[in-house]
Amino acid sequence: MGPLSSYFLFPEWLELLVAFIIGIGFGFALEQAGFSSCRKLAGMFYGYDTTVIKVFFTAAIVALVGSQFLNYFGLLNLKQVYVNEFYTGAAIIGGVIMGAGFIMGGYCPGTGLCALSIGKIDALVFAVGGLTGAFLFAETYPVIQNLANSDYKGPVKINESLGMSPGLFTLLMIVAAALMFWVAEIAEKRFARPEIKNAL
Amino acid sequence: MHYEKAMEMRKKITILLLLSGLVLALLPLSANRSFIVKPGKLLSEILNPEVSLTADQVAKLIVNEDSTTRLIDLRSPEDFRKLNIPGSVNIPYNDFISSDLYIYMTDKNVKYIFYSNSDFYSNYAMVFAKGLGYKNSYVMKGGLNEWFNTVMESKFIGQRISARENALYETRTKAARLFTQINSMPDSLKAKFIASNKFSARKLDGGCE
Repeated sequence: MGPLSSYFLFPEWLELLVAFIIGIGFGFALEQAGFSSCRKLAGMFYGYDTTVIKVFFTAAIVALVGSQFLNYFGLLNLKQVYVNEFYTGAAIIGGVIMGAGFIMGGYCPGTGLCALSIGKIDALVFAVGGLTGAFLFAETYPVIQNLANSDYKGPVKINESLGMSPGLFTLLMIVAAALMFWVAEIAEKRFARPEIKNAL
Repeated sequence: MHYEKAMEMRKKITILLLLSGLVLALLPLSANRSFIVKPGKLLSEILNPEVSLTADQVAKLIVNEDSTTRLIDLRSPEDFRKLNIPGSVNIPYNDFISSDLYIYMTDKNVKYIFYSNSDFYSNYAMVFAKGLGYKNSYVMKGGLNEWFNTVMESKFIGQRISARENALYETRTKAARLFTQINSMPDSLKAKFIASNKFSARKLDGGCE
């Protein structure tokens, strides 16, 4: 039955409306999880607050389990779900830039906009910086085109390249997530910074 | 107190997720493989005229008993038993697209030529294999229909024959004779022949590769 947009030709305004509604839900969830606080996000790197990894991994495994079951019962055709294409070199370099920006600015792009929406000034500067970066990327694209398109691997999934079934991979992810949550809880006790946490 | 309650809830949710993961791991979910060739590149590869061989080219390969090519018949086993091109192996289209290709396309130096009744399934199979990175995939243009029209029903009309035409005509006749010989074998013998020619048997052949 799903994805709906592959069965019905939605007009553009409806597609945009759906994106808008999902976006509101996403932003609301991020803000409620406390992701508009850069100290909470930076806590992930120092170990005093591991909410980030818990929220994102919980979201990932719930989505994994849900989509696999919907696929099994024929309600969602996972073959038609878009999978991002993988460029090894670009992913490594982009990951380093993103990580550096994340720890320095205290936000990732989504949470930056989230913090901007509750009126944080640093988030405004962060968003301007992000847009400037995007502008520079677009302007210098002809120069870095070869780098950006190098090592194309196609829209591969991890379970495919490991040669295991998606179900088994899901189980391993859940086990890994549970272990990670356990380690995260220990880290929070070990690197506790009550003076920051209480101020959140 | 509140914290402990939340902890309890988290444990319950973790256990629930672990159990559903266990169920998923036991379900027979299909592991799809993704194309690893960029769409633009794939398109230019499949539109390259070199990927389709004419029936005459295939006839020549058969007559010469060329060992660097492998013909793959994508029709049903019943159709294959009735008629097939000498030296071909049968992998029904649905089996072909639903299994891992490295079982069939083991040798990178061998040209795999697909054919079906017409171009439909063979072209799909060729695009599928090429998308997964098997550059050594080809099709026989026109399929068996074209094979019948050019090779089986080849007749010389006219008074004089050039050397080139003669060679072509000879190849066609030889290929047609082989085709008739193989396909007019008694059923029991044919079944044995097909079984001996299966892909799994290839490993036992050995020889110098």
